[in-house]
Amino acid sequence: MRKPALRAPRTRSSPRAVRFRGGLHDPRTATVIGRLLGVAVLVCFVTGLFSHVLQEPPGWLATRTPARPVWVFRLTQGLHVATGIAAIPLLLAKLWTVYPRLFEWPPVRGVRHALERISVAVLVAAALLEVFMGLLNTLQWYVWPFSFRQVHWALAWVLAGSLLLHIAVKAPLISAHWRRRSPQTLQLPQESDPDRRSLLLGLGSAVGALTVVSAGQSFPPLRQLTLLAPRHMDHGSQGLPVNRTAAAARISRSQLRDWRLSVRGPRPYTLSLAELRELPQHRVELPIACVEGWSKSARWTGVRLRDLLERAEIPQGASLRVESLQREGAFAVTEMGAQYAQDPLTLLALGLNGEVLNLDHGYPARIIAPGRPGVLQTKWVRQIEVLG
Amino acid sequence: MRTVRAVLGVTGVALIAVGAWLLVFDTRDGTVPQVVLWLAGSVALHDFLLVPVVLLAGLALLRAPARTVWRGALLTAGALTLLALPLMLRGSSAGKPSLLPLDYPSNWALSLAATVLGTVCVLLVRALRAGWAGRRARNGRS
Repeated sequence: MRKPALRAPRTRSSPRAVRFRGGLHDPRTATVIGRLLGVAVLVCFVTGLFSHVLQEPPGWLATRTPARPVWVFRLTQGLHVATGIAAIPLLLAKLWTVYPRLFEWPPVRGVRHALERISVAVLVAAALLEVFMGLLNTLQWYVWPFSFRQVHWALAWVLAGSLLLHIAVKAPLISAHWRRRSPQTLQLPQESDPDRRSLLLGLGSAVGALTVVSAGQSFPPLRQLTLLAPRHMDHGSQGLPVNRTAAAARISRSQLRDWRLSVRGPRPYTLSLAELRELPQHRVELPIACVEGWSKSARWTGVRLRDLLERAEIPQGASLRVESLQREGAFAVTEMGAQYAQDPLTLLALGLNGEVLNLDHGYPARIIAPGRPGVLQTKWVRQIEVLG
Repeated sequence: MRTVRAVLGVTGVALIAVGAWLLVFDTRDGTVPQVVLWLAGSVALHDFLLVPVVLLAGLALLRAPARTVWRGALLTAGALTLLALPLMLRGSSAGKPSLLPLDYPSNWALSLAATVLGTVCVLLVRALRAGWAGRRARNGRS
């Protein structure tokens, strides 16, 4: 029974002011949903941390991020977005369960209590905004005035921290309701047990439904069921979705007429597209995986990057700077650690799925490397040089 | 327990401090007040719009037959709607042909239809089971 009738007891001895009559606004329900939500937050935090490190590695990690398995970022970022979506009903259900505590009376019972309530407010606010921002970012819909990357990153720490603090504060209550047969659980009204189980089934159905209609944007077995995802594996030129189009990057055909690739090292050189095509060509199958959660595997052909580096006598341990022709966007210039530069699968790709790379996919030449976020798979490559 | 709680609490405060530091020193100028406003706005929208609507729905369901099944159905349909809303409201895809390529209003309707179908199946199974249980009870008595 979840009748939201408010009844405020007048006695001073009872600190709980507002009773929402009927069950499931109880600590056992909060514990069960909270556990699931906690796992979701952990998965999102760890995968988000990994994505951040790949995109902006601190110096000591720049050459240590993994290039294997080739689908590592596809997996972690697919999980990040799918878990974030699954967290929507979990978060809302958790907050519904504890909603009556919002009207606690008296609102503050001392410094400790005030601090606890502030930390809960921070936790709730950070959780709601993180999930909302993350979801809208998968649509590239930026309705807020601040930078998504910076704020999503900062709030992730606030959310993780306030969650740990919350668990520390609530630890006795959580452990007293951890199991169905825990002593405090057994003190709850008996009829709440089947009611709770049906609520959890409903919640499971909501999480399952969201996953089924959206995870197909990165998880091939669900591709045919992709109904409510911002990307679909079957939509995109040459069999692959496009994030930044040539038009958006202000790349035009005329600009590419005299295109030459410039490789700068101890023995610098330039090559025309025809000359690049004369070099030994390799074929690899590698996924494009975007930070926004979609990913798809594709067949690429082109020149091995390490062959190009060797030709310029660039040492094997060197990190690279890859420059694009694009004028718009934060990723016109990217850096690449030696673990990717020397990888036999890393190509300067000229072809995609059996065709010449089209303009939106980075014609005349683009980088494709294993295990990296799509934004670092630089398109319309103009120049490759040794870093530092 | 005490040690675990202390470690969790101290780690939590440290992570919050990292986040606050990032928010204050690692963002564009003017970000902090904007973020505070958005945080407060999220909570206000949730606490004083979304939850009251959910509570009213719960109240309406209170005396419905097979209440728990319908509650699950509403949870599922509500979650699908929350996921579909931004996709439907976004409209344009800003010149990116492979972004938002689907007919989202139709897909949303389809997902709700599937939810209704699933709910009807669950209700049927429950009714059949109740029927069997009733017959078994009667047969046992005779």
